[in-house]
Amino acid sequence: MTTGATRAPVMDEPCWLRPASQVGAKVMQSSFLGVTPYLFDGEVEFMKKHSKAIRFAASLFAVALVASACGGSDDAATEDTVADSVEETDSGTDGEGCGGSGTLIWAHEQEPGDLHLDDPENGLTITAWIRTGMWEGLFGVNSKTEFYPRLLAGEPEVVNAADGSVTVNYTLREGLKWSDGDDLTADDVKYTNDMLMAKDSAGEYIYLLGDRTGLDTITDFVVSSPSQFSVTWSQFFAGWKALFGEVHPLHVFPADPAEAAAAENDALRTWTQDGTVLPSSGPLVFSEWNKGVSMSLVCNPEYHGSTSPDAVNTGKAQVDGVQINFVPDTDAQINALKSGEADVIMTQPQLAFEEFGTNDEFIVASSAGPIYEHWGLNLFNKHLKKPEVREALALAMNKADVMKGLYTPLFGDTLPAEGLGNVYWMSNQGDYVDASGAAGYGKGDVAAAKAKLESVGYVLGSDGIYAHPSDGVLSLRVGTTGGNKLRELQQQLLQAKFKEAGIDIVIFNQPGGEYWGAQPFNEEALKCAGSGGKEGDCNVWDIAQFAWVGGPWPGGQSGVLRTGSGNNIYGFANAEFDAKADECDATVDDAKRAGCYNELNLYAVTLQKDANTGLFMLPITQKPSFYAVSATRLASYGVAPDANNAGPLLNVADFKKK
Amino acid sequence: MLTYVVRRVLSTVPLLIGAMYLVHVGVSATSDPLASLRLCLPRCQEGYDRIVEIYELDQSIWVRPFAWFDDALRGDFGKSEAIGESVASVLVERGLNTAMVAIPAFLVSALLAVFLSVYSSRRQYSKTDYALTGFSFLGLALPTFFVGLVLQVFWGVWFPKWTGFKPFYTGSMRTESPLELLQSITLPVLTLVIVSVAAESRFGRANMLEIISSDYVRTARAKGLSERQVIWKHALRNAMIPLVTLWALDFAALLGGSVITETIFSWPGLGPAFVIALTKPDLDLVMGITILTALIAIIFNLIADLLYGWLDPRIRLD
Repeated sequence: MTTGATRAPVMDEPCWLRPASQVGAKVMQSSFLGVTPYLFDGEVEFMKKHSKAIRFAASLFAVALVASACGGSDDAATEDTVADSVEETDSGTDGEGCGGSGTLIWAHEQEPGDLHLDDPENGLTITAWIRTGMWEGLFGVNSKTEFYPRLLAGEPEVVNAADGSVTVNYTLREGLKWSDGDDLTADDVKYTNDMLMAKDSAGEYIYLLGDRTGLDTITDFVVSSPSQFSVTWSQFFAGWKALFGEVHPLHVFPADPAEAAAAENDALRTWTQDGTVLPSSGPLVFSEWNKGVSMSLVCNPEYHGSTSPDAVNTGKAQVDGVQINFVPDTDAQINALKSGEADVIMTQPQLAFEEFGTNDEFIVASSAGPIYEHWGLNLFNKHLKKPEVREALALAMNKADVMKGLYTPLFGDTLPAEGLGNVYWMSNQGDYVDASGAAGYGKGDVAAAKAKLESVGYVLGSDGIYAHPSDGVLSLRVGTTGGNKLRELQQQLLQAKFKEAGIDIVIFNQPGGEYWGAQPFNEEALKCAGSGGKEGDCNVWDIAQFAWVGGPWPGGQSGVLRTGSGNNIYGFANAEFDAKADECDATVDDAKRAGCYNELNLYAVTLQKDANTGLFMLPITQKPSFYAVSATRLASYGVAPDANNAGPLLNVADFKKK
Repeated sequence: MLTYVVRRVLSTVPLLIGAMYLVHVGVSATSDPLASLRLCLPRCQEGYDRIVEIYELDQSIWVRPFAWFDDALRGDFGKSEAIGESVASVLVERGLNTAMVAIPAFLVSALLAVFLSVYSSRRQYSKTDYALTGFSFLGLALPTFFVGLVLQVFWGVWFPKWTGFKPFYTGSMRTESPLELLQSITLPVLTLVIVSVAAESRFGRANMLEIISSDYVRTARAKGLSERQVIWKHALRNAMIPLVTLWALDFAALLGGSVITETIFSWPGLGPAFVIALTKPDLDLVMGITILTALIAIIFNLIADLLYGWLDPRIRLD
């Protein structure tokens, strides 16, 4: 703040009137022209002969350097001057105007291939984040990872019929508009449904990959007015609030759903339809994409404001827009923030945030996101198929070491110090229960772990590692996507405690692109998992460390764990679990359903529900988002709370530049 | 000469085809474009099938390169799935961005290398020579990423703190005006110059020392030629022959994309594109960049061979 205020008056002067030291002329000239080089005869002769040309070239170079210094500072001058005037004029108008405080610059490592969220090659989270700022849905997700009505006027009315069908009556907020001025109505919601469910003449879905789960059981969709509509499901669908997370603009696409679906498949990649930018319902409108360099989004003047309980500013964005600079190198991102070429970054490693945290010029913030890290156990490994061995691993694992080593000192209250103990509910959700902790797991209980191993015949060897008379040394490989510094640190922190318990953990990581196909999702390994160990190769991997994504509707997690699921790498197969999962998803009462999901969690993280094949997931921690913002350039910031890990685009209206 | 050029060009064709085949097989064997898609099956079945079709993943890795050759011969290098554009347009666009950094870096480092070589060899074991030698060893020892990050911190953080202004951008390409381009191009160019000139000047100095103590240079001096003529016209010309080889290799490498420098300075050139292509993996883009780099290397090696003949007429290109 002080820097900007004291610098601005100087920068208001034209560059050429400023003292030379302010524009770099003196420094530059003395560096290059003040030095008298020692020349030998030939060179002196050469210099004499070409002195005019050399002088001209030197002058040109000096002018270019002075001009470049001028140009660099002029940018800063413009921003500081504008910022000063905004501070004076816009007090008390927060949320009423659009923009006015300059462009927010976010340096981020990922660049999406395109903006088609469901392109198979485009599973980048950044794509979802960018679209979060442009297209709103019926419900949003708040900092507690709970749904809140976003485009809706309030919680919809749910009517349960005697035949088991469920009808939900929705009412949209008043005055919703698209950024091009058209009204956002119930027809847009119906269009979104019809387009996603459209089929071609051969009876195949047209939309490339849109998730139709929950949409496929809709039996009726009635629009009764521009702001009111009803949707009927043949049976209760627990994830109904997760549907229509984006409402698409009907008025820019063909009326026929099949044609519209085909048109959207093309339009979403470039975010343009027939050369026109797609209209937004969110706080930002797509503006420009300089591939490989940056993407610009500008303030939406028609934005109806945020209803998020976390929003400080419930009006339009106060920044003119957001420029996302794609900076792949982490150190370069940090330098960009330090040098004023970025206002916000959200990167790792945490060491940089430690540095920023002790510097008054920056603010660091964090929030617990929906992504959680876990160790997945191969139930067909010769050691891991014994419940006692899995329990020994769970007992010996010391999550507090990981938290203390990587998170707690910097972001103490963001995540529980004892780590995560649930794979259905995250620690920041109201229904979270630390089931692992309650079972005594994850606390580094070496003695209990040893006792478990010895109870099934393991004998401690002279090297301090247990061995089984028939299955050999208790050595297990843990793999993950190599190069992920945070995961590698987690592995190293956990490895030491396992060694104390007599379990040899070998870190066996492979490069990101190779890891999945080489280890947990290897075709032979999947065959093994899917066939109950009868086919394929069950020794491809032992332990896999990776992340799944939670959310306000955790029922999706069951899809991974059901018998025969393509994502069920663990080999878990339990008909009782499958039935329970169905029961949970069909439970209408919110509290009962939440409890039901906690019961499902017990199958995955303990032996309570399935003493033979349970306990095949060892949750470690949620992955928090770390942000560093410039305190000297921003008057307010909206990066946290951010349960979606969606970065500065989630609460963009809360950002304001000085 | 023409026969030589034609023969050289023709001899590179099997080399190029062999290299392309090996790269295709190598990348196919070590990467899995379906890895992330397996995570979302069966939801991603359509996309999964699409990728199988694009890269012909149902075929043996030994057969797959032939389909790529077939398309490439018809001028179709495929579409970059990682960047979302045709490989040809990525090569042109990114290649030009890389050239914007590579060409000035090459020219500046080549000129500096010549000047420093002459200067050091003329003042062997002087303080300046020791200083330049020290600088060269420093440049050789420091990794590129370190040089780049130090320049970023110096010009982006420290210098503005000391002086109150920032002459150069430390990241991203700016093309709004020629001045902005100059401001954004300076540090990546400087990084490449520091790294390149260190090796080239050491090489050039050694050559110059050898040449200036040779008989024909002594003869030239004895004939009464000025020192400038002896050094710049006679000695340097011969000393440049090994340097030309180095320049050809360096320039080809620079034009193929400097992965580290371009990544650190967020320069949208071929280097970062190659990294994206390898990590995705985007086989068509890997192949496109590889073939471009190979072609550049071949062309510049050919130019280097031709320059030998010009620099030393005793060399016959038969």
